[in-house]
Amino acid sequence: MSEMLIKNATVYDPINNINGDMMDIAVKDGKIVDSVSGSARTIDAGGRLVYPGGVDAHTHIAGSKVNVGRIMRPDDSRLNNKPGTKVTRPRTGYTVPNVYSMGYGYAEMGYTTAFEAAVPILKARHTHEELEEIPIIDKGGLTLFGSNWMVMDAIRENDLDRLAAYVAWGLLASRGWGIKIVNPGGGEAWGFGKNVSGLDDPVPNFEVTPRQIVRNLAEANEKLNLPHSIHLHCNNLGKPGNYETTLATFDVCKDIKSKRDRQSLHVTHVQFNAWGGNHWGDFESKAEPIADYLNNNDFLTIDMGQLVFGSATTMTADGPVQYANARLLKARWSNGDVELEDSSGVTPLEYHPQSYIHGIMWAIGLELALLTKDPWQVLMTTDHPNGGPYVNYPMVMTMLMSKKRREEEMAKIAELTFERTSIAGIDRELDWYDIAIKTRATHAKVLGIVEHGKGHLGVGADADIAIYDIKPDETDATTEYNKVEAAFRHAAYTIKGGEIVVKDGEITATPAGKTFWVRSSAPADGHERMMEDLKMKFKKYYSVNFANYMVQDEYVEHPYVVETGYQ
Amino acid sequence: MQTVTLVPKEQFKISVEAETITPDNFAGKSADEIGALVAFEGNAPRPLSELFDIKVDGSADAADDVKIDINGNVNRVKRIGEAMTAGLIMINGDVDMRCGAKMKGGTITIKGNADSWVGQEMTGGEINVQGDANYYVGAGYRGEACGMRGGKITVFGNANDFVGEHMCGGEIVIKGNAGILPGASNKGGKIVIEGDTDMPGSEMTKGTIIVKGTVKDLMPVYQREGIEAIDGVEFTKYVGDVVVDGVGELFVK
Repeated sequence: MSEMLIKNATVYDPINNINGDMMDIAVKDGKIVDSVSGSARTIDAGGRLVYPGGVDAHTHIAGSKVNVGRIMRPDDSRLNNKPGTKVTRPRTGYTVPNVYSMGYGYAEMGYTTAFEAAVPILKARHTHEELEEIPIIDKGGLTLFGSNWMVMDAIRENDLDRLAAYVAWGLLASRGWGIKIVNPGGGEAWGFGKNVSGLDDPVPNFEVTPRQIVRNLAEANEKLNLPHSIHLHCNNLGKPGNYETTLATFDVCKDIKSKRDRQSLHVTHVQFNAWGGNHWGDFESKAEPIADYLNNNDFLTIDMGQLVFGSATTMTADGPVQYANARLLKARWSNGDVELEDSSGVTPLEYHPQSYIHGIMWAIGLELALLTKDPWQVLMTTDHPNGGPYVNYPMVMTMLMSKKRREEEMAKIAELTFERTSIAGIDRELDWYDIAIKTRATHAKVLGIVEHGKGHLGVGADADIAIYDIKPDETDATTEYNKVEAAFRHAAYTIKGGEIVVKDGEITATPAGKTFWVRSSAPADGHERMMEDLKMKFKKYYSVNFANYMVQDEYVEHPYVVETGYQ
Repeated sequence: MQTVTLVPKEQFKISVEAETITPDNFAGKSADEIGALVAFEGNAPRPLSELFDIKVDGSADAADDVKIDINGNVNRVKRIGEAMTAGLIMINGDVDMRCGAKMKGGTITIKGNADSWVGQEMTGGEINVQGDANYYVGAGYRGEACGMRGGKITVFGNANDFVGEHMCGGEIVIKGNAGILPGASNKGGKIVIEGDTDMPGSEMTKGTIIVKGTVKDLMPVYQREGIEAIDGVEFTKYVGDVVVDGVGELFVK
């Protein structure tokens, strides 16, 4: 098949310890190889920046809540509109773009993989229908388990094998990649108009605590030897003073031993969970204790959930927090109940730099990334579209790379922000290598897809390559941030599986991407007990029939299945 | 002074989206240059010269010196005068939806009737509708936080439902009657209805509504504040909508 040679590339590939070396990259049949024949198509990078294709480990790109966002926000569909071309369909939307635009937007920035971070099993079929239609990028979905009746019953009855068997079955039923936990127990409590207030507050009617849910799911995760760790959205998100809950939640998984070369806990969009103060009046940043914890412990990773000023559409399985948001901001509100599995909510809002609360939130995301010493521990995300749309990643990258860029933004932000955060005093500026870690390498490592060819450019990896129109040795990112941002916004080339999908910032081809999912074996007797319980629950409680519940293979047309097993 | 006369070549059957028809776009241009501007007829881009006979008299350096006369039937032409900043548009007949949307300045006069969303989200300038106006006079697009933010709309005939929905500023005067729910979710601005209306000011948080005719149904979410005279005429003043902690003022005769 096709061969390609990228010459004179300034390569940053942290997984293979390549830090700005000038080299050639050979591609054959969609994979990186040692060498190619003389007839290979040649691209002369001319010393320009070359990264592995970007990976986003936490984003909301498909599923019922994204669609609810689209329905609630006709005003959003007026933004960012572009007519179709010979290869693309028309594009609409900024915070909740149309399905096709999701893929184009990532590819334009040199991203080639993105994982949808919240898939209820009951809604998984819809999610996969959308994922299939998102062009170019490879995808996967994290399945929600944190407020699930099956999970909580198994935990209360102390039956870890049954829990592990349910997780394995749930991943199969949803064609999911890993365990997502959102406000453990809170989604169920919200069904009764309540919430859980912390790690030791039992879930009504189930008498299990969020602490037990997190701990047991983390153990089940390791028993099943899943590629990804548990992916946790902590309790008390969006409440001043929640950093204490966050730190206590870290400790719950401190002694969990990971069976693979990865973290044993990933805590997501920590910006929303690193808040100090007792109320909105004395609201302040507590990024420092969180960063201190990360600096002293290497078993966990987090992602930023960086805030971007302007329009956002918050969507989460954390139903109660969305009710509180909508009430506080007098905003539109949509509420969802996913039967035995979870709840959800969608609220559009606007982040204003003149508001010190939003200013402090903006600062916390950057503080987390800059105060944590090891760049592998903090992933760059905006929790799209909760903190802001993913199309702003290039701007966030320049803010991490340039103090001057941060100061330019700080000039617009309410003064009080700087009394309540340490952002003004942080001098750290990340380099090209750190950015490669934060936007691709560590995302792939955290998800466990490095061995499946993602996030690096070693021989055998997928030929997902981004070439940016900037020369690292001639560019000072600390001052020329506008140039850097423009380059990151529109890749000179994005190559996906050996095919050029973007050239000079324009989409040139729209191949279908793969969908990663995990098939895991489970303990036989646990599986038996689980099926008995599950069938009883379907009979008594679910509105759908057991036979109609599981996502069929027809809905995942381009699967990439990873087999793993109970140990 | 530059006068541009547009006459549609046919009765359009498919709606035309003509946001390019503004004094700002036409200023200083010849008939050929104006004819080269594009409007969409359905999903097909068409140069204005294919849709209109175009005549230009005189020339102008800036939009405030431009007058556009539209003769003939443009009741299927939408978005005329969108985002215009200055100058004058005379529409000698009916016009389709969203005329003067996002307008910042200048004047639009419509001799006939205007369809829905006339003056949608306008921030300045003036629109006069000498006939009737349909739904959503000076309202916002679906889902938008603010409708009209400034300027003035006068409708000499009647207006349909939802006058000034989500209005945040500016003034709307309806000389005839208005349909149900004028000023719904208002956050500012002033609405004067000289005829009758029904259920004004639902969810209004700020702003003023004056109804000189009859209010058929007053929403039970307003607190009576006494009698106040406006231009020598006594009105009963109400404050609300109390359900949303509103401080909007509603004057009813």
